[in-house]
Amino acid sequence: MDPNESKEAFGNGVETATQSVNQLTMKEHTTQDGGGVQVTCFSEVSNEVTLHFQIIRLQKQIYAWIGCSSAKFGHLYAAARTRPSNTVSVTSLIGGTSDNTGSGVARRLVLKTGLNIILACDLPKNSPMLEADAEKRLVQKLISLGYTKPQV
Amino acid sequence: MDISTPTFPVHHSTLSLDIEGHKTEIIISSYEDHFLVIVTQIGSMGTILHARKEEGVSINPTFNVSVTFGKRDEPMLVACARQLIEFISASGYSKGLVLSLGLKDHSVVRHIFLYFLEYCSVVLNLLPK
Repeated sequence: MDPNESKEAFGNGVETATQSVNQLTMKEHTTQDGGGVQVTCFSEVSNEVTLHFQIIRLQKQIYAWIGCSSAKFGHLYAAARTRPSNTVSVTSLIGGTSDNTGSGVARRLVLKTGLNIILACDLPKNSPMLEADAEKRLVQKLISLGYTKPQV
Repeated sequence: MDISTPTFPVHHSTLSLDIEGHKTEIIISSYEDHFLVIVTQIGSMGTILHARKEEGVSINPTFNVSVTFGKRDEPMLVACARQLIEFISASGYSKGLVLSLGLKDHSVVRHIFLYFLEYCSVVLNLLPK
């Protein structure tokens, strides 16, 4: 590899970074880098609590983050359909102790959308209504963005 | 930037470039307590590592780096996460790092890492602390 080419590529990236870091509106914002990555950010109010959503679409996987009135990363889960019977498996990667607030959400996201999901979730435990509402809004957004796969 | 409009609390930056003929996507996202850095050539997040500074009394910080998903037998990935968390810590952030590396050829990490670090430093300086 030519080191100068790499340096130039990242140098060009600096300009891109300066432009793309200015993602500063509360309205839904989707950026597309001309390649396989789309980032969608939006916020919605649910029962006096502000839910923040970030969706990063990669070609074969979706990463999603759900925040609740803050920008904390929360717990990280991975969920996907697995062989041999194609049932949905979910595992906690970071955090995710006994409350596992996000693991059910991750699992149901795969069930409803057919996508391979990595979910970071900072919802409070013992708030099933909030959890259900956040999940519903996220699924609706994934469907409206056209990311979901047809379910057999 | 419209100062009067409320802002989305998570800032991010994306970059798409070609490394040795492979299209590479880089996404850096800044949360309150973590940075998420995704570098992918394979259309998915690949191996996911978690790195954080340990709270301690010693002057020299210590770091905990672990693979949480994916390849656990590739020491270059762990080294990459470790370098990045040290850099983040030295830049004055106390945030943890979630690093996702989905590379076709892991030896590429060695070649691009310095430039990747430079790119990260620019992005980090642009993001509000």
